[in-house]
Amino acid sequence: MTELNFEHRQAGHCESGVTSNLLNYHKLSLSEPMAFGIGAGLFFSYLPFLKMQHAPVTSFRVWPGMVFSRTTKVLGIKTHIYRFRDPKASMDKLDEVLAQGFPVGLQVGTFHLPFFPPEYRMHYNMHNMVVYGKTDDFYLISDTVMEQKVRISYDDLMRVRFAKGAFAPRGRMYYPYSFPSSFDLKHAIIKGIRKTAGNMVRVPFPLIGTKGIRYLAKQMRQWPEKLGEDKASYYLGQVLRMEEEVGTAGAGFRFIYGTFLDEAGTFLKQDWIKEVAVEMGHTANYWRQFSYLGSRNCKKRSGPGQSFDELADMLMECADREEKIFRNLVKIR
Amino acid sequence: MEKQMENSNPVYKNKSYGQYREMLYSYDENGNFQKSVSYHGEPDRVVLEQAWDLFNERAEEAKQKVLAGKVSPIAYYMEKILADPMGLSMMAGVSLWKVKLHCKPFFFKRLSDRTLTQYAEAFNISMEQLKNFEHLTGK
Repeated sequence: MTELNFEHRQAGHCESGVTSNLLNYHKLSLSEPMAFGIGAGLFFSYLPFLKMQHAPVTSFRVWPGMVFSRTTKVLGIKTHIYRFRDPKASMDKLDEVLAQGFPVGLQVGTFHLPFFPPEYRMHYNMHNMVVYGKTDDFYLISDTVMEQKVRISYDDLMRVRFAKGAFAPRGRMYYPYSFPSSFDLKHAIIKGIRKTAGNMVRVPFPLIGTKGIRYLAKQMRQWPEKLGEDKASYYLGQVLRMEEEVGTAGAGFRFIYGTFLDEAGTFLKQDWIKEVAVEMGHTANYWRQFSYLGSRNCKKRSGPGQSFDELADMLMECADREEKIFRNLVKIR
Repeated sequence: MEKQMENSNPVYKNKSYGQYREMLYSYDENGNFQKSVSYHGEPDRVVLEQAWDLFNERAEEAKQKVLAGKVSPIAYYMEKILADPMGLSMMAGVSLWKVKLHCKPFFFKRLSDRTLTQYAEAFNISMEQLKNFEHLTGK
């Protein structure tokens, strides 16, 4: 029976929330947007060849696990990251690490997660949460989606840690264990911003970054003819679900990133970054508007203003605005 | 678990649906970024329900087909756990082309107990339930 004195803070995005909470336990206070920005979490990719829940994948974030590993690496924090073949071995290792007094981050699948909001229980294997203790029957969990701390039984935990399907977590667990005496936060922020901006505008591949948004917009115009109204509206719904659903804190992370830019501008004492943050805020509101009009379409109550053409125009506008923002940010020193 | 599986879909529109508050960030007119904790907004609710409606529809369709003898129970339970053939093949550890074959009644009838157990584990039901489909969905 162990229970660590872990502070649970609800967060918008699971992985950056977990990173921030884990570092906070070790007396390094880093806000959630900060962890997200330093870990270069913002991204865009549209992968029409990969289907999830019967529609193409649109992702507004980087590969799972990247935020934690980038943040800790750039701050010089040493971490252990494990994956397992054998479920039993993974649980033994978890107990061992807990007994040493470290809270542990876990990657789990959400489909069988008993305490999770039912509307989100789809096959999504990239969710993150923290185990901070163990009683006789239960593991004590701090899940950033939930308002309160929760608990889960041994069997259930084993099951979600070894959820199968695309992006299977394979019992992935991670925790920081050694901290340097001083941090170069300035360097970390600059590196994070440059990485994100580079990902968004400098990758020479049409499905990624602002090019990806434009590609999606072009495809979207063709959906009604190609797929028929029903399927087109479902595909649109998938984009919106990825943008607004669990773990994005609204508008596909654009609000979190704006918050990060705002904090970064204050920290670096560079006013132009704060101006960019304002721009980001307006862009995020525009994304929000896009999803609002898009959802009217999904409800099949679209007036003349919510056709796929108009939505595609809005996406194009989003891409233009973001391109401007990130072309600016890539020059950061 | 078995009892839940009787309903059309285990989690959709059960009593805790939509009862959770999540954290959202926003940007207001005064130029401040803010955090708030709230229930789903209108757009979220619409797109989530759209997805669950589709899952239910597909499961219902598959059920009718099974009762008509056109596809095997595997196809129905696959829709029920929101999987596609590729996902099911990963979950059950059966290769994709075999999963597609097993969705046909002809091949389903001659499945070995071992393979059936693999499927039953993926569906989280017993092997008997998987075999005796008529009893489960009968009137």
